[in-house]
Amino acid sequence: MDGSQDAQFLLFTLLSPMKPENVNVVLSNSSKLGAAPAPSGVLTVSQLTARIKHSIQSAFPATVHVVGEISNFKRHTSGHIYLTLKDQTSELAGVMWRSEAAKLKFAPKDGLEVVASGTVEVFERAGRYQLYIRKLEPRGVGALDLAFRQLREKLQIEGLFDSRHKKTLPMFPQRIVLVTSPTGAAIADILRTIERRYPCVDVFVYPVRVQGDGAAAEIAAAIRTVNANPSQLGEIDVMIVGRGGGSLEDLWAFNEETVARAIFASRIPIISAVGHEVDVTIADLVADVRAATPTAAAELAVPVMDEVLDRLRSQELRVWRAVRAKVELGGTRINGVLKREPLRDALAVVRRREQIVDELTNRAQRSLATRVHRARRTLDAVEPVVQRIAPHTYLLRTGVLLRDAEHALRWVISRRLTGYTTLVTDHNGRLNRISPANRVQRLAEQVARLGTSLPVALAQRLTLLNQRLASQEALLAAVSHQNVLARGFSITRLKKGRKIVRSVAELTDRQRLVTQVADGEFESETVNVTQRELFE
Amino acid sequence: MAKKKLTFEEALKQLETIAEQIERGTIGLEESIDKYEEGMALVKQCRDILSKAELKIQQLQQRGDGTVVATSFKRPKDAGLEHEG
Repeated sequence: MDGSQDAQFLLFTLLSPMKPENVNVVLSNSSKLGAAPAPSGVLTVSQLTARIKHSIQSAFPATVHVVGEISNFKRHTSGHIYLTLKDQTSELAGVMWRSEAAKLKFAPKDGLEVVASGTVEVFERAGRYQLYIRKLEPRGVGALDLAFRQLREKLQIEGLFDSRHKKTLPMFPQRIVLVTSPTGAAIADILRTIERRYPCVDVFVYPVRVQGDGAAAEIAAAIRTVNANPSQLGEIDVMIVGRGGGSLEDLWAFNEETVARAIFASRIPIISAVGHEVDVTIADLVADVRAATPTAAAELAVPVMDEVLDRLRSQELRVWRAVRAKVELGGTRINGVLKREPLRDALAVVRRREQIVDELTNRAQRSLATRVHRARRTLDAVEPVVQRIAPHTYLLRTGVLLRDAEHALRWVISRRLTGYTTLVTDHNGRLNRISPANRVQRLAEQVARLGTSLPVALAQRLTLLNQRLASQEALLAAVSHQNVLARGFSITRLKKGRKIVRSVAELTDRQRLVTQVADGEFESETVNVTQRELFE
Repeated sequence: MAKKKLTFEEALKQLETIAEQIERGTIGLEESIDKYEEGMALVKQCRDILSKAELKIQQLQQRGDGTVVATSFKRPKDAGLEHEG
């Protein structure tokens, strides 16, 4: 393995400046001896360590790069990282201070092969040299790649990508929030697309930085803020979170855990739109819907206006057709009722009465004429007798008497005639007023009007019509039910209470019934009560 | 008729329900006509929602107390080739 050979080489060269000569070291137990001057040619531990430190420092550049496998990885609560780099034969202690460790994109762990860059220094207190690591990178793969894979694996295990957590997008959103940079191609694409397809929505732009330090925190905060402020913003239907294309580093904010967590926690459905088709970020995986591009995100967010209008129109037409069919059916039923026998019978009654009136009138006229005629005949018969008798005064007196009698007669007759005429007129008028024929005529006209004019007034007219019809029907049914019975129909009543059975809905099995026919009644009991659909 | 303001989706759904009710014939003629009027009111509501022809764009700003205000938004020029964002 190349890397481990490099490391060995480095470790060997580390020791090479030390000359292979005998060195005497005073083993001093503590500072009480350390203060005393050492005999010449003898070094204290500190002196030796200082020399080693110096020779190491002068032997290596400020930065060395060491390849090795991590073991004994430990992240202290202080944030500092302690680890050992090893290969087949050697080990090297390493330290990474908190300030550097915080910049790590990926999570170092045991077994991972890395390239560590830093300074080799001696840690005097422990008498040991170690690598002060400033930069740590996974070997063979970029740090960002590894970080991406690690976070993806972690969130996958936690279930953040599970489809059961994905929320459905509303079909007809009214309020949309865009979490993105307020300048640039992405927002322009999104706004243009929404405007073209469905401009009746309210769009809220939540401006955030989409790359660089702090971008991820801003994006996450924006998502959380919008979720936390529903009353001020009104109900937000959908959020688009994203940016235009860029390098992996540019898109990095959308691969950070804080953004992933904020998206996952969002109550409002989120469409992610990061970069181009080929870029898939952690945000894309957590989002409810991933759009390949910002334009695609807008297309997923809103429908096309014309299609929505078509759908609305078809529903409107559907309701209109259904109600028209219903009204036409109603009209047909009214016409059917008007043609039914009781109504026809009623008309016949009216006509018979009219005929009687006509006859009466004729008779009255005839009898009047007869009387006048008879009177005249009497007069004619009397006249010659009178003339024959002929005493002038007598004649005169008789003539006067006769004239008076004729006047009286005429007056009486004319009064009677007037009386008759008035009677006939009254009769006619009354008959006309109550004539079902006229009512039927009016109803028929209303029905005709119903057929042509539809909605609003129709409801009232129909109500009125239905009421009149109902009373008319009731009246007629009462008048003519004997006729109906005679024609073979029957009336069925519940035995208990004598209530007329109009619907099977009023019946249960095993109920005693009394059925009335034209000439009597009989009892029976219900079996198999079945209701028939009224309108299919 | 409709007291609270319905969303487009709710209004459309109600309209579909009304059409079904009238078509199925389970309600009477007079109720059908009432429903028809209700339906036409819903159609009008839907049209009102759709009739807004101009996209309304606002910008959100978070205030110190964590609440958000909407202010007017200045739209960037279209079709830019800006790489950022």
